[in-house]
Amino acid sequence: MTDPAFLALTALLLPAVSFLVLAIVGPLRRHGHAAAYLSIVLSAAALVAAVAAWRVSAAGGFSERLWSWIPAEAGPLAVLGVLADGDSTLMLILVALVSFLVQVYSLGYLSDETLPSLGRYYTYQSLFAFSMMGLVLAPNFVQLFICWELVGLCSYLLIGYWYTRPEAARAAVKAFWITRAGDTGMLVGIVLLWYQTGTFDFLQLLQLADAGLIPLEGLGVITFCIYLGAAGKSAQFPFHVWLPDAMEGPTPVSALIHAATMVTAGVYLLTRMVWLFRLTPDVMEIVAWNGAFTALLAAVLACVQTDIKRVLAYSTVSQLGYMMAAIGAGFASAGFLHLLTHGIFKALLFLGAGAVIHASATNDIFQMGGLGRRMPQTTIVFVVGALSLAGIPFFGGFFSKEEILGATLAGGFPGVFAILLFAAFLTAFYMFRVIFIAFGGAPAPSHGGGESHVHDAPPFMAVPLWILALLAVGVGIFLPFVRWQAEFEAPHGITYAAITVAVLGIALAYLVYQRRVISADTLAAVLGPIRVAAQRRFWLDDLFAGIYRGIMLRFAWAVGWVDRYLVDGVLNVLSAWTLMAGDRLRRIQTGQPQDYVYGVALGVIALLVWMRWPR
Amino acid sequence: MGLGAYLTLAAALFAIGLFGVITRRNTIGILLGIELMLNAVNINLVAFARFNADVVGMIFTVFTICITVAEVALGLAITILIFRIRRTVVADHLDLLKG
Amino acid sequence: MTLEAITFWALGAVLLASALMVVLTKNLFHSVLYLALSLTSTAGVFLALDAEFLAFIQLLLYAVGVTTIAVIAILVTERLVGARITQTSRHIVTGLIVSGALLAAVLGFLRGVPLPIERPPLAVDVTRAIGQVLLTEFVLPFELLAVLLLVGLLGALYFARPDE
Repeated sequence: MTDPAFLALTALLLPAVSFLVLAIVGPLRRHGHAAAYLSIVLSAAALVAAVAAWRVSAAGGFSERLWSWIPAEAGPLAVLGVLADGDSTLMLILVALVSFLVQVYSLGYLSDETLPSLGRYYTYQSLFAFSMMGLVLAPNFVQLFICWELVGLCSYLLIGYWYTRPEAARAAVKAFWITRAGDTGMLVGIVLLWYQTGTFDFLQLLQLADAGLIPLEGLGVITFCIYLGAAGKSAQFPFHVWLPDAMEGPTPVSALIHAATMVTAGVYLLTRMVWLFRLTPDVMEIVAWNGAFTALLAAVLACVQTDIKRVLAYSTVSQLGYMMAAIGAGFASAGFLHLLTHGIFKALLFLGAGAVIHASATNDIFQMGGLGRRMPQTTIVFVVGALSLAGIPFFGGFFSKEEILGATLAGGFPGVFAILLFAAFLTAFYMFRVIFIAFGGAPAPSHGGGESHVHDAPPFMAVPLWILALLAVGVGIFLPFVRWQAEFEAPHGITYAAITVAVLGIALAYLVYQRRVISADTLAAVLGPIRVAAQRRFWLDDLFAGIYRGIMLRFAWAVGWVDRYLVDGVLNVLSAWTLMAGDRLRRIQTGQPQDYVYGVALGVIALLVWMRWPR
Repeated sequence: MGLGAYLTLAAALFAIGLFGVITRRNTIGILLGIELMLNAVNINLVAFARFNADVVGMIFTVFTICITVAEVALGLAITILIFRIRRTVVADHLDLLKG
Repeated sequence: MTLEAITFWALGAVLLASALMVVLTKNLFHSVLYLALSLTSTAGVFLALDAEFLAFIQLLLYAVGVTTIAVIAILVTERLVGARITQTSRHIVTGLIVSGALLAAVLGFLRGVPLPIERPPLAVDVTRAIGQVLLTEFVLPFELLAVLLLVGLLGALYFARPDE
């Protein structure tokens, strides 16, 4: 029982059981609350198993369990199983924890849903938990890819949960389509890698890499293709456009999928594969610079958003850029650490935003206001999350963000460092802009009618919020003291630079939005063109839409034409010819017996001739 | 005369019979052609029986003759029946099998 | 030319000539008569092959029986008043070609095969041999033949029965 692979497998299979039961047993699912309880209980059990797995495997080393799935002559072609080591079990805990908390939270958030829909929601949640854990624990590329796609599917299902709303349906399709584009690249990369090395298995590939047996030529293409898949899932530029739209889904979904788990799959993959990517430093540079650029771009975009969830979405994109930059700089452990802490406080922020949205019945921050007085508890936890995001000491994000900044310098990317530092300033600014607008000040005048509904969150929603807040603070306090092996020596000034930048950002937000000392309009005028461009999301969405309409749909139409007229046409022609031939051949049957005698006679002659033909 | 002569004779008779079957319009005429063909077969059988000193060929011939006679009788009976129903024995008009 | 050869050629000529007349005559009744002639000459051929019993059977059953049946059939189907049923032929050329081709094929086949010239001497009385074998080895087909003839008789009677 102390085998971490076994414990990890248990954690993996519990949500699978939940999904299967809910999917097959219709009445249970349609009951709604029963489905929710089943899913939550199994999810809690999975969390326990995950923690146990981590405790056992934290000593280092790894263990795995494999089942051969597609047999072939030279060894099985596809193998499924779990690979439990320190990283994967840690990620497993994150997935299980956030999944469990989100499911509990959803009981409160989705209390207005019809019961069958609720059951459907929990079925999807279970499937997602299973898929994400399968991805995390994957021992080879085949299972990774399968779970990767499953996770994408769950994202589609959950974003489009309220599928009767056209925006939600469109957002779900957009998310699926864009991540799919990246996944195609990843598939190409995986197959190329197999072609070069003959194996999908991570451990075998690791051994090959260590022994220097992986051929280097063409490896850059491979790693770049794999990075494409990671970029799609982790919303790196230019694939980031799906994440803001994905906010059409319920807020708990955003917290789970678009903060803590699915979007981090890309970062996780790169962390797993860092020994492969180290062999291609050019691709690493691309990863780093693109990560930095994404971080900056998203931070700028977040400054002009009015929808609270969109602010958080762009914030996620920005932070993912941070993680990627760290990996690109060569220090994946920094990125991974930020992945874990970000998962906690971003989930906290999303769930807090959900409470706010639930109470004020709007997403627009300019329609909220003065929430600090009427929802004190929610305000506290939200501010905790914001402080973690901004990188203030003793809150979760500070240490990991500093690690990343140090990693970029140690990796020899001073430009990246500068960009990330500026982005940190913007991060603090936009986050506290939201806080001062929504929580500070007076209530928005037009919202007088909804006064009675604005209260603190009900227990189902409040408890997960508090748990996450405590975790965020706890991580912030204890992390520097836990011996976290930094892989590099960072100059000491970084810490002060990071803190300064964050405080400056908060200060600016305070001055603009709370004290109104600096007018927001003046600021807007100063940054005029940038602001306009940001409000148009730098026209990237339009570009994608144009590509879709112009190229994709045309291409699909052409393929359809070929299918209808050429492929079907060939078949129709053949069948028409057959009918014609049959019609003509009918005339042999004249009904005159003598004609049939003809036939017999000719046959006999033919037989005789054939027998006597000179050989 | 050697075996070949008798076989040639039978072959010629057979060909004539076949010609008759194919060209004749009257059903009874067709049956007569069939008679000739069967005759040719019998000659073949008896010739082989004689030249191989095997009496079984002749036994075979006995059987074929008997069966042929029965077949002719029945064929003519059917012809008469068709004539009664359709008032014709011209084979061209009996084309119910036409597909 | 030996007697045997002369007999063979004579019989052959009569046989083939009468067969040709069977298939070429316009008058159906004449056709039947010519058929009787060819059947009789076949009996002659059987005699030339030392198969007396068979010649006898041929005469009895074929030359007499079949001819009788054919004549009766013609009488029944022919209009008794008015023109006799004549028959014209169709597809003569095609028929010629097909039967000619068949003949050529068979003859060509026979050419390549060595055929004996000499008859083996008759060891036993053929008729006696036929009788013995027929009632020992082939008794079962023999009895079945009787059944067949009975069935044929009944069938013919049934077919040709008068309408009620």
